[in-house]
Amino acid sequence: MRAARGGLIVGGVLAAALAVAGGPRPACAQGQPVGTAQNAVGTLVVVRTDGIEHRLQGKGSLPLFEGDVLRTEAASQALILLRPSTPVALNEKTSLKILSRWDKSVGGNGTIRILRLSRGEVWARAGSGERQLEVETPASVASARDAEIDLKVADDGQSTLTVMQGTADFATPFGQCSVRVGTASIGARGAGCTAPQPANAAAAAGWKQAVSQ
Amino acid sequence: MHAMPISRSTGLALVAAALAALSGCTEMQGKEAEEPAHSRVYVANESSNSVTVIDGDSFQVVGTVDARNHATHDLAVSRDGRWLFATNLASGRLSAINTKAMETVASIATGDRAHVVTLTNDNRQAWVANIGENTISVVDTTTFRILGTIGVGKGPTGLTFSRDGRFAYVSNQGDKTVEVIDTASHRVLKAIPVGTNPHFLVLGPDGRIWGTNTGGTDIYVIDPATQDKIASINVGPAPQQIAFGFKGLQGPNAYVTVAGLNRVVVLSADPSNLRILEQIDVGQRPNGISGNREGTRLFVVHEVSNDLKVVDTGSSAVLATVPVGRKPIRVVFHGN
Repeated sequence: MRAARGGLIVGGVLAAALAVAGGPRPACAQGQPVGTAQNAVGTLVVVRTDGIEHRLQGKGSLPLFEGDVLRTEAASQALILLRPSTPVALNEKTSLKILSRWDKSVGGNGTIRILRLSRGEVWARAGSGERQLEVETPASVASARDAEIDLKVADDGQSTLTVMQGTADFATPFGQCSVRVGTASIGARGAGCTAPQPANAAAAAGWKQAVSQ
Repeated sequence: MHAMPISRSTGLALVAAALAALSGCTEMQGKEAEEPAHSRVYVANESSNSVTVIDGDSFQVVGTVDARNHATHDLAVSRDGRWLFATNLASGRLSAINTKAMETVASIATGDRAHVVTLTNDNRQAWVANIGENTISVVDTTTFRILGTIGVGKGPTGLTFSRDGRFAYVSNQGDKTVEVIDTASHRVLKAIPVGTNPHFLVLGPDGRIWGTNTGGTDIYVIDPATQDKIASINVGPAPQQIAFGFKGLQGPNAYVTVAGLNRVVVLSADPSNLRILEQIDVGQRPNGISGNREGTRLFVVHEVSNDLKVVDTGSSAVLATVPVGRKPIRVVFHGN
């Protein structure tokens, strides 16, 4: 009787564990690394969700977690690699937060990596599936899949998206547009994104050469 | 300028339409989800991280949805009833729930202390007030992307839109104001002083904006025509939320949950003649309140007794008590 009851308890615990582990869950903050900071020209400051700060100067492998805020000051740049293999460069005077969205309709584990850019400029090369990336600014959002992009946000939130490779979706609360390779669009508060115009894509991300080496 | 005379039948039709809008539902073109077949009452259970789903006619619990987040707080349902959005205070996230499947299908990072959610009148966006960041996140209800962020005052805790959608109203408990946002530009036009710890905001049946000062004892009314506070009345300690309905021929009335009294206080919904008509005893620490489309039933949730009471507005009698999850905060109704 006791053995049978024990078996039932073990079975119940196992069933509960399987039930908990069975379905996809939203990404958990500060659970497992979502990438690494690999290089900094000057200093990259990483602020964890509990307020603890880490600094990277030069090359390294600093783990990054969801919820981290990354910050560069004047004359500083940084290169990070988001898992599984999405490189992102931060220009000087940049601040962003690493987030995610879980969406059951998306393949894999359903996680879409998001960078919330509050100021400054980033470059990223996104892939497909888990390597796709969204960059949010106060006035817009850029979604990149199999695309290379540069997104710069001004103090008033105005955001400029330049596409170096592929095509990126760009949207504001007032409209959306598809930005193709070699063009740029601007998203400002209270307005839809502008019609993409030809842009010097190579020059737009020229700033990242130093930190990419 | 003279107001156009409105017949009684036209007036009642307008009020009925307004009440339908007040049930928190507006049209939404989104990801595919089937329309639910029955009236539903949804309850956000903050300490259970879940949403209880109740049949709106039989008052039986038909399911519980795991919000897949922490501290589920506020709810907004689409006009077609297919989608339910839930804020989660501790996670700083918005859960998107397919109501037919009764399943959370997306979890959207909005901001620290995501408190309340309201759908724009066309249901294309969900606006979320983040207390911890003093921002409003604008969420695309089709792609679930954050389209932009609007900076507001300290501690945004209430959010609603004007009838014509031109203005959004945000209550800021830290500033003791309601801010008016131009939805065409996302600029803050005005900050209206309203009182202590303003919290819940809702569009009233006459197009005015009704709000509670949860840190005080009063509720107030703002007129979108002038963007001024035009009326207020003391209802008791810690007024929480407001719904509208009728008591037979009488109405529309405003029904206010007053946590400090364990009562629903009934008022005339005429801002020019605010007066208390009645007080209805309910459960321990009532918070969320919502009405059915016809304005004959109220659904009230209680933070301490962890239940929902169904009140018949005609008789002010409690028709049913339904156990829900722990610390229910918000309740919304959607009817077919």
